Amino acid sequence: MSAFSYSRDFEVVQRMRPEPATAAECAAQALVGDLDFDIFKHKMHMIALEGKETTMKLGASTAMRWGDVAFGVFTAQGDLAVCATGIYHHAVLGQIPIKYVVKHWVREPSVRAREGDAFFYNDPFYGGVHNADMGLAVPVFHGGELVCFVGAAVHTGECGGAEPGGTSPLARTQYEEGLRVPPIKIGEDFRLKEDLLNMLAAMTRDPRTMILDIKARLAAARIAERRVKDLIEAQGREFFIGALRKILTVTGEAARRRIARLNDGIYRQPRFMDTVGTGAGLTRINLAVIKKGDRITLDLSGTSPLVAGKPVNSFFQGIIGLAMVYFCGWLFHDLPANNGLLEAVDWRFPEDSMVNAGGEVSTSMAPVVQVCFTQGMFLCGARMVYGAIPSHAVAAWFSGFAIPVYGGFNQFGDPIADISPEINATGAGARPDMDGVDVAGAFFATLSDCSDVESTEADRPFLYTFRNFFKNSYGHGRFRGGAGAGFGLMVHNVPGLALGAMGAGARFPMTLGVFGGYASPPTFVQYVEGSNLGGLMADNRASRPGRLDDVYSDVNPELGRRSLHDIAMAVQVFRTGDTIYFGVGGGGGYGDALERDPQAVMNDLRDNRMARWAARGIYHVVYDEASLRVDHEATARKRQAVRDERRQRGRRYSEFMRDWQQLRPPAQALTYYGEYPDSGRSVEQAPAAVSL
Amino acid sequence: MKLRITEYLDIDVAREQWCCNRCGTALISARENYKHGCLIAERPMEEVHPPIVAAGDYSFRFDPDYCRLLEFYCPGCGVLIENEYLPPGHPITHDIELDIDALKLKHQSGHVG
Ligand SMILES: [Zn+2]
Repeated sequence: MSAFSYSRDFEVVQRMRPEPATAAECAAQALVGDLDFDIFKHKMHMIALEGKETTMKLGASTAMRWGDVAFGVFTAQGDLAVCATGIYHHAVLGQIPIKYVVKHWVREPSVRAREGDAFFYNDPFYGGVHNADMGLAVPVFHGGELVCFVGAAVHTGECGGAEPGGTSPLARTQYEEGLRVPPIKIGEDFRLKEDLLNMLAAMTRDPRTMILDIKARLAAARIAERRVKDLIEAQGREFFIGALRKILTVTGEAARRRIARLNDGIYRQPRFMDTVGTGAGLTRINLAVIKKGDRITLDLSGTSPLVAGKPVNSFFQGIIGLAMVYFCGWLFHDLPANNGLLEAVDWRFPEDSMVNAGGEVSTSMAPVVQVCFTQGMFLCGARMVYGAIPSHAVAAWFSGFAIPVYGGFNQFGDPIADISPEINATGAGARPDMDGVDVAGAFFATLSDCSDVESTEADRPFLYTFRNFFKNSYGHGRFRGGAGAGFGLMVHNVPGLALGAMGAGARFPMTLGVFGGYASPPTFVQYVEGSNLGGLMADNRASRPGRLDDVYSDVNPELGRRSLHDIAMAVQVFRTGDTIYFGVGGGGGYGDALERDPQAVMNDLRDNRMARWAARGIYHVVYDEASLRVDHEATARKRQAVRDERRQRGRRYSEFMRDWQQLRPPAQALTYYGEYPDSGRSVEQAPAAVSL
Repeated sequence: MKLRITEYLDIDVAREQWCCNRCGTALISARENYKHGCLIAERPMEEVHPPIVAAGDYSFRFDPDYCRLLEFYCPGCGVLIENEYLPPGHPITHDIELDIDALKLKHQSGHVG
């Protein structure tokens, strides 16, 4: 142990772009022909896909079973070359722990990396997001030479910490977040080390899931390792190393060509978050996307300071990870998903800001910070790409999370702690040519699924009272966002359960529209203690809420102690029969709602996706209430009248600003914001934070 | 020659003007924030996000202490060019600041799109 300091490695986390190619990689790369390269890419993608599917099939936690799985093949230097996932950030961020292993452990005599080893990590400083995201990678050797790493990064639903379910909204420092493991060797000689598993199991509330998830990652990695070795046997080691490197090279080149097509300029989107974990508080994530030539710079100057004592901070590497979700899934969706894309991207993060966490601050709710940022990527991206590639200019998917978090014992007496799969039931953003897809998934995990309710009920102490489309859950516009899902849960078959919620967006929208499209509505929870719903269900004739809008209707027959709560809610004890209701939101809208096809508005009414007030007040359609037949001429007249009224009401900029500038949020809302409206934290004042 | 920049905005390259894509009205210099050439109104939040739950802090309407909804209209035809959700009094975002010289150069050299 000569150069090891037992503290964070600030150097390795900067290395998200491809490492400089080694001489061997350069030489090998030159020998790879186009046809062989195409076959290789396809084969490698299949290997990664098999890794992802295997992880899902064998895993135990909700996210792993339903597809929030990133399976990657990394070069011997740790660069992500191939991945199969919709959850790109875990794949891209998964290279940091591997580069850490390469830097610190491969040559360290007390550790080393040998054939049959396995490395585990969950420290969010290296994983980039939060402690619940855990990964495992194995080094692959051929003829005694390290040729690559393969591994899976997946959210495991529980990681210890002050509260169950993977996030701790009450965490004040990193020490309340739970398990924190920088990359360690967890297995040797193709065996996991039972003493280490035993230690990890002891540090979470759901040891069975913790261990099963580790074994699932390892099993998938071993299969991929076998496939890679077969491929090397057939194609040769030099070809493999060269072709793997070539993927990064061609991806970087293609990304720069794509960017060069876009209009040079600066595209801005301040994003506002309305919660600081539990309770209200306004913060700003200030994004400027600077596009010049074949490069993009993400500038986060002006973002609110670190939120001390609260968990709503993110490491900068997590922000880059989420930017990669937008790049891989949208801007470069037809290019290979790997960190070669970052050859075209630079970034600037102000020091000590909530997007550049340092010290002991908590990042337990970093996912909320990161999706809030990603909204800005969607919006800046839409403005940046429309001129060259209009079909890529889309509104954002729902980004408020709005999911239950729980811990306790299930109906079989087994310890459990997790989130619910409706994290993957959000609506897609509207597009220039069509509505967003209803209940499409999650933008950060597009290959995921929200499970069927029966599977969730099978080993979780819940009874779903309903789960279906959430009416009015999306942003309106010329094209509307996809609808989200509403659902009710009754605690069932256990005496009690610790249950809370994770998300943001009760006061300020988390999901914005674009080009005049509106935001998705606020999210919050309702819960009923001592509910009579169980009795209503037993009496088969009684009416009971069957959709989320019934829950809020005046004639809802459910009785009990009813509370409304912020969507960020620390766990509290629910008794059997208590109910809780969630609305996982829809996507943002696109364009002026007055341009929406009136017939599409009627279809939304007929399909119960939308309320009548919106048909009249947002879309200004004149129609027959009984038959839903549109009066097209009257609608055109009505819409023209609305446009005329806008021109009457609207004021010139300078005149408008005279009154607007006088306004200010109440002081209480600005506790964590920094200086309002423009925080003094800029990159110019903190040059040390500029990445090289 | 007009270049399409967003759903509702064109740039007249020769005249260096932002123009409404729907009616052609020239809004303002292409080197300025196009929003300065729009008509602006604060839209009552309850018109777009009406409170469904009668009372209290959680109602499906965004909290006016935290969030206001601004709309930017074309002075020629009244189309909604863009909206912006902002905390009260927060500066309006210059969301598209194009490098007009680069745009002209790209257009002249025929490398559009
Ligand atoms: Zn117009």
